[in-house]
Amino acid sequence: MIWLRTTGWLSALLVPAYLFSVYQAPVDAIQGVAQKILYVHVPCAFAAYLGFLLTAIFGAFYLATNKRHHDHLAAAAAEVGVLFCGLVIVSGPIWAKATWGHWWSWDLRLTLTLLLFLIYVAYLLLREFTGDSERAARFSAVYGIAGLFVIPINYFAIDLAGGRTMHPENLKGDSLGSGMTLPFLLGVATAFSVFFYLWAKRVSLRVAHARLEARKRS
Amino acid sequence: MNTFLIILCKDLMIEWRTRARFASMLIFGVLVVVIFYFAVGVTVSEQKTHFIPGLLWMAILFASMIGLNRSFALEMENDAISGLALAPTDRGFIFLGKASSTAILLFSNAVLISTCFSMGFGLSLLNIIWPYLGTCALASIGIATLGTLFSGMTVRTSHQEILLPILLLPLLVPVLLGAVGATTSLLIEQETSEKSLRLLVVSDAVYLVLSFLTFEFVLEE
Repeated sequence: MIWLRTTGWLSALLVPAYLFSVYQAPVDAIQGVAQKILYVHVPCAFAAYLGFLLTAIFGAFYLATNKRHHDHLAAAAAEVGVLFCGLVIVSGPIWAKATWGHWWSWDLRLTLTLLLFLIYVAYLLLREFTGDSERAARFSAVYGIAGLFVIPINYFAIDLAGGRTMHPENLKGDSLGSGMTLPFLLGVATAFSVFFYLWAKRVSLRVAHARLEARKRS
Repeated sequence: MNTFLIILCKDLMIEWRTRARFASMLIFGVLVVVIFYFAVGVTVSEQKTHFIPGLLWMAILFASMIGLNRSFALEMENDAISGLALAPTDRGFIFLGKASSTAILLFSNAVLISTCFSMGFGLSLLNIIWPYLGTCALASIGIATLGTLFSGMTVRTSHQEILLPILLLPLLVPVLLGAVGATTSLLIEQETSEKSLRLLVVSDAVYLVLSFLTFEFVLEE
């Protein structure tokens, strides 16, 4: 509960600060207002990676320890990760339409991000279609670990393609113009804070549901 | 090692006697070739040659799904899967035995489907036969390792036939990219693509190690 309350209050403080900083951020000379989608798109991508990484880590912990709580943490991280990955896939094409003139291209980074989204949707489907909850926990832990392989390929996709992609390069130290660093950093902090809040909320719901199921059985 | 050989020989012997999986995979693969022939157009022009390797590997991949769906189906009869789970042996070697038999099956199917494809689309595979067979072997290993692991999972779920392709196809993309890249390079430039082969080898290695280590959790009751 303390984790939920802390992240809830932190998110409540960060969201207005972040929105204000994005509003105040300078407009890019070439891309115009569409450039501000960066402050949503990239932080959501980082939160999605975090979610899938936590899914794999807690899945591995579950396989090692057989503690139910690790499974709850893994499943909740996957759910929130899928949400943020969905936001990446929605915000990206909005920027692409404004900048490239079309919604989608089968660029390596875009395609791998879509693939990552489909992998973790499949993770959730696997949990849903496996009847026995202990078996679902084991199977999804294995699948979550297998899906981790795609994350570094996705992140380094532009480097792997030798820079021959449409998607902008990964951000480096001097990538952002003057006045853009603060809204970007606030965006990342807000995305992580909202991620942890939603994660804590989902974990508490899963634990409550498991207790209810146990009580029904006894 | 004994466990690996016993499982491998058992699966190959069952497949040799019934040929059920092999036949259904081959027929499906040939059907896909025929449908692609109508979809792509009656004549194969110079421009179309560039995406023929992609069509070929799609046919092989979809035919592999048919075979992988049946991989553990036989073990479900008479609860033989419980016998495997309770066997006093390292479960990783059970996995290796099943994956190896599946890889042999997928490789033979890939070769036959490629033959049909080359006849139907006028491709010349004979002058690149050894590097092409190597590509088929590497791709078959990648598909078989991950496919066997997920087949072991999905056989005990409620929607096995739907779930296996949904789980497997996204993770097979690196194998598919490697196979298509290597085949394209062989057909068009008549040389081996190191980048594609490296992708195949790395994917196979990662999936093999992952599947070997985690199969025991899949087999648990």
